[in-house]
Amino acid sequence: MTVLPESGSPAEPPLQMGGLTRFEWFFEGVRQALKGPAWIVAVALTGVGGLAREAGFPFGAAVASTLLIWAGPAQVLFFGAVAAKMAPAAIAFSICVSSIRLLPMCLSLLPLLRGRRTSLPTLVVASHFVAVTVWTESMRRVHDVPRDARMAFFFGFAHACILATAAFTGLGYWLMGDLPTPLGAGLLFLSPIYFITALARNAREAMDWLAIGFGLGLAPVAEYLAPRGFDLFFLGMIGGTAAWVVGRRLRAGRAPA
Amino acid sequence: MSALLDSAQTPYLFLILFGFLPSEVWRFISAFVARGIDENSEVFAWVRAVATCLLAGVVAKLVLSPSGALALVPLAARVGAILAGGAAFLLFRRSVVAAVLVGEGLLIAAAAWFT
Repeated sequence: MTVLPESGSPAEPPLQMGGLTRFEWFFEGVRQALKGPAWIVAVALTGVGGLAREAGFPFGAAVASTLLIWAGPAQVLFFGAVAAKMAPAAIAFSICVSSIRLLPMCLSLLPLLRGRRTSLPTLVVASHFVAVTVWTESMRRVHDVPRDARMAFFFGFAHACILATAAFTGLGYWLMGDLPTPLGAGLLFLSPIYFITALARNAREAMDWLAIGFGLGLAPVAEYLAPRGFDLFFLGMIGGTAAWVVGRRLRAGRAPA
Repeated sequence: MSALLDSAQTPYLFLILFGFLPSEVWRFISAFVARGIDENSEVFAWVRAVATCLLAGVVAKLVLSPSGALALVPLAARVGAILAGGAAFLLFRRSVVAAVLVGEGLLIAAAAWFT
């Protein structure tokens, strides 16, 4: 990105906001989320509400789980484990292990969001909103947003997603259980079909396609070979590293520096 | 457990201690580490590959060993619905909506047929 030198303070170039204010970018994020992604994640997590009720949690705690944990698999794990009367320490441990994936997700998104004046507290708050849907959608959309407007756009997008989902978790608290089986199956299928197409939509180079292929192909193997609960962690490290190595070779072969 | 959840505040405390904090710790750490990562570096590319691979693994697990009502649908129908979604994705110029609609339609039809 080239910045034309402007008159004034040379040390502090003007913010690149593409002619819109911070609020306008926030609401652009809200608008884009409400055009689809927010509703998909909201519907996909409706079932969490029902699980929370079965586990004996009050309505408020079901909604709070979406606002606080904001990661479908961890929420399902949490309420399922409580319902199964698992020991609290064991619940915390398995949640912690299953959420390791948030680390590479945050690390691959936050550097894209960071503007010149982004503070550490802002990054900490932004990291809370990173979850699968927000991650996949932001990884792509943020490239069309000027550097200094990205954080505002992201917060708008993420708030729309998390609030819509919290509302649907509350809805699921009262409605789940009354659903006919085919619709219940369809609801549970929404996450995998959406995640995989969103990943494919985001793929920009060979490395991405390889990472998707290795992840799908190695998952059944990892489930048998890796220690219980750690299969996805090993899968990500080994498959992701392999995709990166091969992708790098292909890139180097195509465009000799 | 039920005794623990009886008081009005304990479910929330339980949620924060054993649900929220164990998952949030990764996000918190990442905010500090992310400051040192250049988006044009190879480390950044590697992290993206790891995250993408992990997520594809999550999808495979959800499809291969599902829970609840989805487990009642035969494996072939679940995989078939994913493949049909993929075909729709390519056919409709990388449209996520088309893929989700076709995949969901096929799966719900299969679920209605087999259950």
